[in-house]
Amino acid sequence: MSNPCVIPTMVQDTLGDGRWMSQHKRNLAEGLEREPEVVLIGDSIIHCLMLRSIWHDLFEPLHCLNFGIEFDETQHVLWRINDGILDHVKPKVVVVHVGTYNTSNTPDQISAGILEIANAIRSKLPETNIVICSILPRGQHDNPLRKLYAETNKEICSKVANFPKLEYIDISKELVQPDGTISHHDMLDYLRPTNAGYHKCFEPVHELLIQLLSEHEVERDLTPSE
Amino acid sequence: MKMVLSQRQKEELNKAIADYLSSNGYTTALEGLKRDADISGEVEKKYGGLLEKKWTSVIRLQKKVMELESKLSEAEKEFIEGAPTRAKRSPTEWIPRGPEKFCLSGHRAPVTKVIFHPVFGLIVSASEDASIRVWDYETGEYERSLKGHTDSIQDIAFDHTGKILVSCSADMSIKIWDFTQGYQCIKTMHGHDHNVSGVAFMPNGDFIVSASRDKTIKIWEVATGYCVKTFSGHREWVRQVKVSPDGSYIASCSNDHTVRVWVAATKECKVELRDHEHVVECIAWANESANSAINEAAGGDNKKGAFEGPFLVSGSRDKTLRVWDVSSGLCLFTLIGHDNWVRGVVFHPGGKYIISASDDKTLRVWDIRNKRNMKTLDAHSHFCTSLDFHRTQPYVITGSVDKTIKVWECR
Repeated sequence: MSNPCVIPTMVQDTLGDGRWMSQHKRNLAEGLEREPEVVLIGDSIIHCLMLRSIWHDLFEPLHCLNFGIEFDETQHVLWRINDGILDHVKPKVVVVHVGTYNTSNTPDQISAGILEIANAIRSKLPETNIVICSILPRGQHDNPLRKLYAETNKEICSKVANFPKLEYIDISKELVQPDGTISHHDMLDYLRPTNAGYHKCFEPVHELLIQLLSEHEVERDLTPSE
Repeated sequence: MKMVLSQRQKEELNKAIADYLSSNGYTTALEGLKRDADISGEVEKKYGGLLEKKWTSVIRLQKKVMELESKLSEAEKEFIEGAPTRAKRSPTEWIPRGPEKFCLSGHRAPVTKVIFHPVFGLIVSASEDASIRVWDYETGEYERSLKGHTDSIQDIAFDHTGKILVSCSADMSIKIWDFTQGYQCIKTMHGHDHNVSGVAFMPNGDFIVSASRDKTIKIWEVATGYCVKTFSGHREWVRQVKVSPDGSYIASCSNDHTVRVWVAATKECKVELRDHEHVVECIAWANESANSAINEAAGGDNKKGAFEGPFLVSGSRDKTLRVWDVSSGLCLFTLIGHDNWVRGVVFHPGGKYIISASDDKTLRVWDIRNKRNMKTLDAHSHFCTSLDFHRTQPYVITGSVDKTIKVWECR
């Protein structure tokens, strides 16, 4: 049986406002104009990042472009990559977070979709580092979707293990509290992080980006004088 | 330096290592460690990620300490020596000092370029909002805006009289504006096949030089608006062009990581300067007053082996500034300190300093003779894209992605 997660698919404009296509076209135009060092691509988790102050504080200084579109599933991100969203940019790193909305698929299908995205990025940008983020948990309490994401994350981790120049990063370590709940301080709607939530999940991503971007720089002697 | 850990710290370190081993699935090492270090049972949650955290934060803190130390020494120096008062300042020594005199807002998109009018007390700014704005830097008042371009304006320049202004844009056109009366666009020139990112006047004001993402440089006759020469050679987007003070050379910088110097009369490429490791964003010719400081900094034996010049400075996305001797084609020295892309650079009119603007949001003053970053101003809340130094008056201006322009007084 074929896996819907790996087949590039356009989002159907069921409401007729054309918002998805408008965002995609704007992203294409930004790719032509701008010269990002980092491109972030994926779903609401990526998209909402640029609505929080952490974007200005930590990500804009790295020369980032945000190609996140709300509710995108793996197959939609694949379609956008195939349609040329990465054709005119030469970033040093591409960060991916997607899978949140593949709620009707199995861990095997979703992780195959993410692997396919990594392959698509690699074929467009052979030299670029790829960073795959673990799918963030959702819901105040434990629930079947959190289990789906946890299993998917495990599968992604093993599928990309030997993928060259690719880093898998678990970004949800500090989100779930010891009693198993997610605080509304971190996710107001228990799905998309607040600024505080983003700091917990995306500061490690920022740290990793700094390392990847400065890989070829001569290390400066930072020993403080005494 | 030999470090000693207390028993308690040692235990914590062991547990942090144990957590690192277990979270990475290094089970045999973990078992070994637990046996050797006598750790029993599960490692508590508070050790989760502790080793990684320390590993990264040490570097970050060291960097912070360095920054603070240099800020402190700068402040101490200023406290002890004191900045000269307005009455005592001298044109060869004055440098911009905070806080800014004016913060001008009005542009609706990032400011791409700011320049002084060569005669009047005016500054002109260009923006991604496709408008050019004119301001009075002595009063901080907005004077007018020039509209006509249909896309982000990339660069602007005055002729030596200040009677005409040239602008270029991502709309692929170059426009000439009358600055004597009316402030109208008097000519629009087409010919580049892509975004035009840099413009400059030849010293006599008869010709304009332009640089484009189409990889070429073109020379245009002001009187007719015709393109009279095209220079090809850069392998990628040409970002800026600057004409040497005597008009004999044109310097250009590019996404291909190089700076090129061209003979204006013949289109011949005199020299290609490579050493930068990323896109070269900006360049500036040194005025003659800078020659002795540059030679001293280059460490050349001043008697026999002095470098002849002319000299150029370039700023790059590799975060460095480089000073070049065009005659020998050598990079004489590198200025390191910016934390992000260098976007704008000018020589101090007195010849002792270089001033630069960067995406690290700062404006920096470099003491050429000692190749040292002698002053850093936290200039804007976003990338600082451009700066200009007035040739005779004690003012510096900066433009930013935060949409503002700031006027800095020098002392």
